[in-house]
Order: sequence, then C-alpha cells, then structure tokens
Amino acid sequence: MTATRHPMSGGLGGRLAILAVVLLAAIWMLPLAWVFAASFKPNDVLMVRTDGLLSPPFTLRNYENLIGTSSLLRWLANSAIVSLGQTALVLVLSSLAGYGFARTSFPGKRWVFGFVLAGLAVPEQAILIPLHRLFVGLALHNTYTALIFPRLAAPFGVYLMTQYFKAIPRELEEAALLDNASRLKIFLRIVLPMSLPAQATLGIFSFLTAWNDYLWPLVSATRPDMYTLTVGLASIQTNFAQAEGIGFLMAQAIFAGLPIFIVYLFFQKHIVAAVSGTTVG
Amino acid sequence: MSKIPCALGIIALGALGAVALAACGDKKTELSFTRFFGSCEAEYGKVTDVKQAHGECGIITSIANQFTATNPDHVVVKPQIVEWGPYYDQLSARIVSGDIPAVAVMHESALGDFVARNLVEPLDDGLKSIGISPAEFTDQARRGTVIGGKVYALPFDTWSWLWHINLNMMKKAELVNADGSPILPTTPDELITQAEKFKAATGKPYFAWPTVNDSAAAYRTFLTLVAQQGATVFPPGGKTVDVRSDAARRALELINRLYGEGHVKTGADYGAANQAFLGGEAGIVVVGTWTIDDFLNQSKQAGSPLAGGYTVVPFPPIFGKKAVFADGHSWVLLKGGTRDDRSRKAALGLLRALWDNDFEWSRTGHLPARRSVADSATYKALPFRANIAEITSTAYSVPSDVPRQRAVEVAVGEEVSSMYLTKKPIPEVQTAIEQRVGKLLVGAN
Repeated sequence: MTATRHPMSGGLGGRLAILAVVLLAAIWMLPLAWVFAASFKPNDVLMVRTDGLLSPPFTLRNYENLIGTSSLLRWLANSAIVSLGQTALVLVLSSLAGYGFARTSFPGKRWVFGFVLAGLAVPEQAILIPLHRLFVGLALHNTYTALIFPRLAAPFGVYLMTQYFKAIPRELEEAALLDNASRLKIFLRIVLPMSLPAQATLGIFSFLTAWNDYLWPLVSATRPDMYTLTVGLASIQTNFAQAEGIGFLMAQAIFAGLPIFIVYLFFQKHIVAAVSGTTVG
Repeated sequence: MSKIPCALGIIALGALGAVALAACGDKKTELSFTRFFGSCEAEYGKVTDVKQAHGECGIITSIANQFTATNPDHVVVKPQIVEWGPYYDQLSARIVSGDIPAVAVMHESALGDFVARNLVEPLDDGLKSIGISPAEFTDQARRGTVIGGKVYALPFDTWSWLWHINLNMMKKAELVNADGSPILPTTPDELITQAEKFKAATGKPYFAWPTVNDSAAAYRTFLTLVAQQGATVFPPGGKTVDVRSDAARRALELINRLYGEGHVKTGADYGAANQAFLGGEAGIVVVGTWTIDDFLNQSKQAGSPLAGGYTVVPFPPIFGKKAVFADGHSWVLLKGGTRDDRSRKAALGLLRALWDNDFEWSRTGHLPARRSVADSATYKALPFRANIAEITSTAYSVPSDVPRQRAVEVAVGEEVSSMYLTKKPIPEVQTAIEQRVGKLLVGAN
C-alpha cells in the first residue's frame, strides 16, 4: 500500500509553502488586529496618531459606552431574527425553485429561469423607491416582515441550487420513483440531504448579507426599536467619528463582528467544507 | 344596610376616582425628536444639568433630558437618532411612509428643499406663542431660516469655515506679530509668499484640508474665496450656476496653485488632515467650528506640537471682503408630525428649551443663533469666541432658493478636487460643474 503524501508536508518546498501561507494570513490579519487594538485606545489619543497601538494608554471606555446603550441588545436581537429568518426562508425557496428548474419541465421554463437570473443584474438601489412605496402601501414598514421579505427573491440562491441539483445523478431519483416515491418525498429524503454543502454555502452567504445589510433597514426600520445592529450602531456615532471617535468606531466594529466570529468558531468545519465544496464526515 | 360598609364603599369609590384622576393627570405626551449628533447614553443618559455636559452629543442629550424632567405638561422626549450621513434619506423615507417625527433637526442648506416640497410648517405663530421673535435671530440665522418672508425653522447655531493655526510653527516661520497673534495674508500673493516662507522654515506644508474622500472642504473653500470677491457662484433665481466669472476663475487658480506648489498636505482625508495638524505636520488646518474644543484640549497637553500655541480665526479675507462659507443647524416641525394641539404644544415647548440653551450649545464651538448670546460677555469669554463672533454677520451661505444643495456640494467639490488632484484643466472643471450642477438645478421642482 502506498501512503499519500500531503503536498504541504515535509521537504523544504512544503515548509516554505506553509511559511508563505502563514505570512499571507498574518498580513491579512493585520487590519483586524489594528481594529482590535484601536478599540482599546482613548479617542483623544487616536485623534492625534493611530500608530503605536500596542503602547499605553489603554481604556475600556469605548466598550463601556457601547454596552451602555440601552437598545443594543434589542438591535442585536433584531439582527438575529432578521438574519436567521431570511436565511431559513431563502434556503427553503431557493431549494424548491432550484429543484423545480433542475428536474421538472414546464412550458416556458427557459424563459422563467432567464427572468430569475436577470435579477442578478438589477442593483438594489434601482428598486429601492418602488420597494419602499410597496411596503408603505402595505403599511408594513417597521416590521420584521418588511425587513425579511424583500430579500427573499434571491436569484443567486436559485441559480446555485439549480446547478447543484443538476449535478446529482438522476439515477438516484429514478430508483426512488420506481419504488413509488412521490416527487416531494424524493426531494425531501434523497435530494435535499445530498445538497447540504450547497445549502451551507447559500446559508452562509445569505446570513452574512442579511447581517451586514444597511440600506434597506435604514429606510424601512425607522423606529429605533426596530433598528438592526448595523443601523443602530451607525446611529450612535458622532458626526465626526472618523476623527474624534475612532476608538469607539473600532469597538463597534468588533462588537458587530463578534456574533459572526462566534458562529464561525462553532461551525468552522461545516463552513470550510461548504466553501471548498466537500462534505463533513 | 349598615352605615360602615356604605362608608367603606364611598371611600373605595373615592379612592378609585382619585386614582383615575391621577392617571388622567399623569398622562404623558411622547414627543418624537429626530436628530443626528450621535448617542451617548452611557455617559449622558441621565444627565439633566446641561451645564455639566460637553460636546454636541452630551449637550443635546442633556437638553432633551432636562426638558423631560422639568416640563409641567408631562412631555416625554423620545429621541430618534440617525446617522449623520444618510439622515435626509431616512427622513424622506419616513415622510413618505407617514412615520413623521414631531421635531427634527435640519441643516439650513437643506431647509429650502423641504419648504419647496411643502413639508415643513411655518413657525411664525408658533414661535410667537412661546415668546421667540425672529428679531432675536442673528443675521446669519435669519438668512438661513426665513424663506419668502416666513420663518420655517428655529435656528440653533451657525457653523463656519475657520483657519485653525499652530502658532508654534508659525513662530518658527516668523509669521507671528509681536503680541503673538498670527500674521494673516490679505492678498493671494501674500498667501503664497507666506506659504513658501513657512515651508522653507519648517519643511512642512502651510495647509492641511481633506483632499481625499471628501468634497465638502473644496466646495466650502471655493465658495468662500468667490464670496470674498463680492461675487457668487449661484445667481438669483436658483436655476443657474456661474463658475465662468473672473472671481470664480481666480478662486480656482489660487486653490490649484496652493496644491500644485506643495502648500497643502497631500493624501489626507478628514481624519488625517486633522491628525496632520495635531501632529505638527501642517501649520493650518481649514475645518469647521466644531473642532475648537478638541484642538484646544490638545494644545493643553505637554508634548503636543500644538502645546500652548493654538489659535483659530475666520477664513481670512484673502480677496479683500470679509466673507466665509457658513451653514447652520435648525429645528423644524414637519407637517403631520404633530397630530393634535397637545403634541404641537409639546413640540413648541421643546423648541423653547432648545432656544433657552443656545449658549450651552455654543460651547460645542458652533456660533450662537441667538443675537443676545452672540453679543454676550459670557459667550465672548469662551476660548477664541471673540475671534470668530463676527461670522454671525459676515457669513456667506448658499441662497435657500438653490435646490439640492447637498448634491450640488458633492458635484462642485468633486470637480474642484479633481482639478488639483488630477490636474484637470480649469476650463474643463468649469464645464463639468456647469453640466453636473445645471442638471441638478434644472431638474429640481
């Protein structure tokens, strides 16, 4: 039996490759480290210079001021509800639509699919005003419905799932059809479990998009109790925060990124597998 | 039926009635108060003594707290704080969706658009009912809030374009008078000569102003230099822009020359320009009234390049006439924001409280909108306020009949910036401004 040698292991070339990767990772991490260090520095110090972050003085004041904002937990909860709700619904709708496009035939399918994909070319700003007016007409602004529903039309999700379902061998489904399994049963029991890597990829992208969304929540959730974290954190910045409140800005960035970081820690294996297109054993 | 239970019944009924009456009397009126200036709840969430507060956020928060705590009508102010940048986008979205705030902050440069769209209530009668007369407004505040003979906003301040000066560096360049005050240029040639002398003595550029990711600085400086020649970029009527005048050309040439000859710190955005000034990398930073306190605090720190050597003056009259770009914050009642007499009275009460605290607000560095405050010895005793108080009458602001001023600022600022950053020829800059601004002005209602 021949052992398979990992390309990165052993030998000078492998070590150099690892060193290069570590160096690149360190360079990539530098801005994040800078943000983290700056969040512990007094604002008046940062107003004068933003180097020398590793030397005193340090302060927790930026975090104290942030945590002292009474609506912070509410905004965090709003963001979690909107992001999780949006992600779950995008997964359901994109999977169903993708399966429909990949496996069923109906009149005008190519046109409908083309129409869905055309949505990728429409920028968010182009539909903002009609979308806003639509939700005014429905009297739904300042609700979770308004924050979640406009983002459910996800052309990328439909495209991703369609392509993934197309790659699954038809024979698996045909065997089930011979056993009199219904289309829905085949979808739920056979195809869906096999599409978990694609679901994970789409889930991650949907969640991150929803978590970082700013423009739509800004104009739809106008009551402070309905702000999402992005809008809420921006609202508490002073007018010239980029000069006089840099430490506070950085503390906000750390706080906003923390939930994503925690999610990553727990689901690291799945996320890496999703992005690399493999499955977790 | 015995008398005792009957008496108890009456007492109980009476008690219930009293509770009900008390409940009625305690009925609170919630007043939505939309603004930017940030949130500082951790530090000032419970502060009601405005005198103890500092900075824009601290002072405005404590004014609202104080009003809630002391007004006799049980009005509770509910701040709705929005980020400064997209504030007007959100406000417009709220108006469209019928979620209209009662009291909202508004730049005087934005007021004209909202008035033209019939979205703002005239305040003549309202202000009269709370004892405020427009005669008490400073000249500049009146220019900013009176449109077509009607008062549409309660002015809160005037903010303007200043030269913040590092006297230590100026001294090194021998650009200070015997009394320690800076020698200021009075002509374009003097300015260039001073800048050259400064650079030769210190090795640093004379100026810092935001040249990257910022269009406001170039716009404000350009309008200031044109106004100092007794001219204007916006002829009467608000439908045209004039950047072909000799005054406009001279202003563009001067800005171009300053940058081209290395007298302006390069590659600095807003934060970096201030940082360059505080770090002794430039002699003068051209920025607004709001940084006075921060710079003053830095000048009190030993070891700072600014230590003991900071002063601030209005943008000097390089072309002869005293004039400097200005704008202001004001408070408006939006139509539909107050739904009944009770809430309207509450909103006017808050306006009165804001007006009464105009001096406290002027501690931020902004100039007062209230003439009596601007003229007061107390105000002039604040650091450097005597230097800049003249701006309340010498300021130049874009006329309120010029629509879309914030978009106009971006268009003009970007073109002026590209002149000195990319060496775009001045005639091309003039053409680009005419085209971009022309579209904005003609396309507006």
